[in-house]
Amino acid sequence: METPQSSYIPIIIQAVFAAGFVATMLGLSHLVGPKRKSQIKDENFECGIKSYGNARIPFSVKYFLIAILFVLFDVEVIFLYPWAVNFKVLGIIGLYKMLLFMGLLLVGFFYIIKKGALEWE
Amino acid sequence: MRALTYTSFLGIACLVLEIFNLRKIVVPVVVIALLAILGINFTEWNGSSVSFYNDMLRADNFALAFTGLLIVTAAGLVAMSGSFYDTEETKLADYISVIVFTLCGGIALVSFSNMAMLFIGLEVLSISLYILAGSKRRDIRSNEAAMKYFLMGSFASGILLFGITLVYGATGSFNLAQIALYASGPGVDPIFVVGVIMILIAMLFKVSAVPFHFWAPDVYEGSPSLTTAMMATLSKVAAMAAFYRLFSVSFVNNFSGFAWILSVVAALTMLVGNLTALNQDSFKRMLAFSGIAHAGYMLLAIMSLYQNTANALFFYTVAYTFASLGAFAIGISVMKRRKSEKIEAFNGLGKSNPFQAVALTVFMLSMAGIPPLAGFFAKYYVFFEAIKTQHLAVVIVAVITSAISVYYYFKLILAMWTKDSEETDAPAGAISYIAIAAICLIVTLALGILPSLVPSINQVASK
Repeated sequence: METPQSSYIPIIIQAVFAAGFVATMLGLSHLVGPKRKSQIKDENFECGIKSYGNARIPFSVKYFLIAILFVLFDVEVIFLYPWAVNFKVLGIIGLYKMLLFMGLLLVGFFYIIKKGALEWE
Repeated sequence: MRALTYTSFLGIACLVLEIFNLRKIVVPVVVIALLAILGINFTEWNGSSVSFYNDMLRADNFALAFTGLLIVTAAGLVAMSGSFYDTEETKLADYISVIVFTLCGGIALVSFSNMAMLFIGLEVLSISLYILAGSKRRDIRSNEAAMKYFLMGSFASGILLFGITLVYGATGSFNLAQIALYASGPGVDPIFVVGVIMILIAMLFKVSAVPFHFWAPDVYEGSPSLTTAMMATLSKVAAMAAFYRLFSVSFVNNFSGFAWILSVVAALTMLVGNLTALNQDSFKRMLAFSGIAHAGYMLLAIMSLYQNTANALFFYTVAYTFASLGAFAIGISVMKRRKSEKIEAFNGLGKSNPFQAVALTVFMLSMAGIPPLAGFFAKYYVFFEAIKTQHLAVVIVAVITSAISVYYYFKLILAMWTKDSEETDAPAGAISYIAIAAICLIVTLALGILPSLVPSINQVASK
């Protein structure tokens, strides 16, 4: 089987251009732009309330858990769209399959509720 | 392929039991259900190898035999998990459902007939194992094991996918039979060969063959012992069977190009595995290196694709699985009692608990390949097949390394029988460990005396 690899050359050119554009712009602004260095200038926040402490503090992973669960169920709901579009073609068997699928989804949903994954405190 | 469907539902049923706070009954229910599924699985035995879901899965004798072995292994692991997780009762049902899902992945791996199913099976198996490897949350070694396993495993999965893509690019199909048809035709595309080599690398990683074995000792040592037992038995057997199935069906016709790669890998695996196992002082680490060495012996079977090789491989995996599972059953109960994973923890076991010591001695001798135990015939069959296909040099390496391996297995045996410990009488341990060890002992002895008890699975080889 012969693959027409030459047809990919435009994509490579485009990728080189994109990367080159970003690199040139960043480099130019670094070279041409004005530079003033002083202790006050180098601080994270030049004005406003004086910052204290470190940004890297431990915080609750609850947020990640909820975000991951949201993504999981959100993605699974996407499967409903193709089914809705092909509802008539798939017929009663498609309905059974979707019921099975939703049933499994519900088991998972009840599981995470019972495990207390959605309780914030 | 009803076993796969029922096993998946069993995994979900575990979660339902967890929801309704029925943790007390989950172990017996799952063990009984697995044994029922085992019975259902063998009703399809010797049937006309049917394919399912647009030829995604194929239930031939090879698939059914390995499915049976995996189910028995999983039932043993679940039976032990009741007493293994006795300090974390609230999570018991979760652990068991993950074990059952691992079994699902394993079943998909031994019965696939489509590359997509191979990948799904491998991922279901691996992801469940990543979870279990890290399931001791507060133990830093368990965390390290999970992290290492996950990173390395993801890379291997990526390489596998890349390989599958290239093979698809060359052949235009994910179906094993279609790929075989292309491979036997004239003018094989170079990217096909590259793809097969990438798949080969990923599979060698999953069975922890040298030089892709570096993850295995650390992961085996850091994971909870029951998970280590699962990696050593269930996961290794499933990956090995998938490896064999893939190469014997799809790539058999242009195999001569890969056979020398495999023979070098097999020889290296046996050498490195056995030589490194010599100076290990941790029980789990020693078994990890011994597992690497056994992967090398099993690679001999894959290397010599011949009429009876599937039988030789199946016998080897059965002998290895039961010896390993039994050794872990006793090892876990001893390590838990003496709170140490060193080989010294086994000192004086011969006096304090003769049954455990005798059983562990038998499992070690079987792994070393001493007649009249199952391990001897396992090695005999595999070596015989390799000699028939003119791989004499590798077999010589295999025999020499097998002799070397006796040394470290005897280190454990000597510790049990000749050294003393302050412990005078040991408690018998939980009944489940004893029962699993006894069953494994009976199988190891029975297969050593009557090796013909293992059924022939020749239907596959003639396909």
